[in-house]
Amino acid sequence: MAPRLPLRQQDDSLRAPDLAETTPQYKKAELIMVSRATQIKERALLLLFFLCAIVAVLGVVLIFAFVAVKAVPLFKEIGFLNFIAGTKWSVAKEQFGVVPFIVGSVVVTVGALAIGAPLAILTALFLSEVAGPKARAVIRPAVELLAGIPSVVYGFFGVTVVAPIISRVFGGAGFGPLTAWIVLSIMIVPTIAMLSEDALDSIPMGIREASFAMGATPWQTIYKVVLPAAKIGIIDAAILGMGRAIGETMAVLMIVGNAPQMFAGLTKPISTLTSQIVLGMGYSSGAFRTALFGMAALLFLISMALVLIVRLLSHTDREA
Amino acid sequence: MVKMKGSILALLLVLALSLSGCTRGSTGIVVSGSTTVEPIAEVAGEDYHKAHPEVSVLVSGLGSSAGIEAVGITKTADIGTSSRSLKDEEKKLGLTVIPIAHDGIAVVVNPANTVTNLQLNDLRDIYAGKITNWNEVGGPDEPIVLVNRDESSGTRDAFTSFVMGDTPFSLDAVVLPGTGQVREVISRTKGAIGYISEGFVNKQVRALNINGIPPSPANIASNKYPLSRSLYFLARADISPEAQGYIDYVLSDAIQQGPVRDAGYLPVTGGER
Repeated sequence: MAPRLPLRQQDDSLRAPDLAETTPQYKKAELIMVSRATQIKERALLLLFFLCAIVAVLGVVLIFAFVAVKAVPLFKEIGFLNFIAGTKWSVAKEQFGVVPFIVGSVVVTVGALAIGAPLAILTALFLSEVAGPKARAVIRPAVELLAGIPSVVYGFFGVTVVAPIISRVFGGAGFGPLTAWIVLSIMIVPTIAMLSEDALDSIPMGIREASFAMGATPWQTIYKVVLPAAKIGIIDAAILGMGRAIGETMAVLMIVGNAPQMFAGLTKPISTLTSQIVLGMGYSSGAFRTALFGMAALLFLISMALVLIVRLLSHTDREA
Repeated sequence: MVKMKGSILALLLVLALSLSGCTRGSTGIVVSGSTTVEPIAEVAGEDYHKAHPEVSVLVSGLGSSAGIEAVGITKTADIGTSSRSLKDEEKKLGLTVIPIAHDGIAVVVNPANTVTNLQLNDLRDIYAGKITNWNEVGGPDEPIVLVNRDESSGTRDAFTSFVMGDTPFSLDAVVLPGTGQVREVISRTKGAIGYISEGFVNKQVRALNINGIPPSPANIASNKYPLSRSLYFLARADISPEAQGYIDYVLSDAIQQGPVRDAGYLPVTGGER
């Protein structure tokens, strides 16, 4: 890049400084020579960036604090063990055991991941390693569009298309884990596919070239060289997809059946943490409301754990 | 996600401010009680306020017992609302009981189902999970698919008190958050059974007779049909003219044929007791 004049030698003080170039060596002294208006503008803009960045942090802290504070009476009103290890949920009888919902959330999430992750990773491999520019130009926007579909539309699709088919084949009303797996696995494909593709694209071309030079076929190159190299990135992608699945609410509420019972079969209605919170939030009070906040806190901890795992994995990846 | 929550909060704030703006400088009528009556009372209140800007109606849903207490004992409300008739001790309060709508809950099945009648105790056993096949109640050999409503539903509350009593619901029931969804699922599931307000029965589903009595408007209005109840307004003798005007408006065709029917209830043709 051509060397630029330092700021102080430019006579046009209204010209916005190129932040990308000035920021690394940014010093107060360099600003002294520019006009006061520019100085104020600079400071104000930098402050604005900082405030924007802090909003996200504040948001997380405030929401977590809010949820936690609301959930604290749980220890007294319900009892922590009754809550976290209880298997009976009945608002009328003031029983607030959330094990059926934890099991439900896990069943729904793991199943969706088992179907959705291979689908998404193979899609990413196709886009990154196999597809020509034309195929890519069609498939990639389609996958991205999948991410933009509102979850209520997915839920509607599940209710009107998937559930009736499941009902005809397996009997029952068509609501349950199987229906949720099918719909959720499609929902998490874009998250996992896009992130996996990024991971694959970041593998240097030279590695592939070396593999081909050794006489490896494209498939051998993919599964012996490219996939292992991008492994951590793909696992990251899958975990983030898992986060999407476990937090998904609207679509799940519409198709999972919402029966507060323990998982008993793929076509038997069950309930998840998220769907139960939504069903109850509108009218709950007292210990019931506390239980819902407890469930929200639980979800928060689960997604925090998932993010933490991703951070740790990315870290080991960089070290290696 | 964070941003979304923020904008929802902002929206609520705006809403709260605009609502509080409405009540300024006018006579307020406080209507509190049954959550089942709340939506009708609220719509009627808004319409009444439009026609009579000097009167504003504040509606809250606390439950029938709290509503009766608010109008009869603590006198914090001008009008109490209830979805049940008064108990003996509540009758001593000397409140005027004004039925504003009749509500019947129809037990509905798939139109292809050959069962036409259920005894009330069989219905209870079905929803408790003790009867699991239609052939146990004179139907075809077809497993029963239970469809229930979520616990916030007033229809579920009413069904519980009419049918279940202290018997717990089977946990195996599909729980759906709306009448439309209940109809939809029953219409496409052969062995399904569910319950909805009588006013929402359409061709997608077929309503069963209970104890041999069909859920006809006449049977519901006379409480002959076992799953029927009335919704009431309750007022003290010293009721203000503004509150009386509001009650008359709720009993007029504008509300009876509009919001009352829209909610799936049957209109009353008027009348205090």
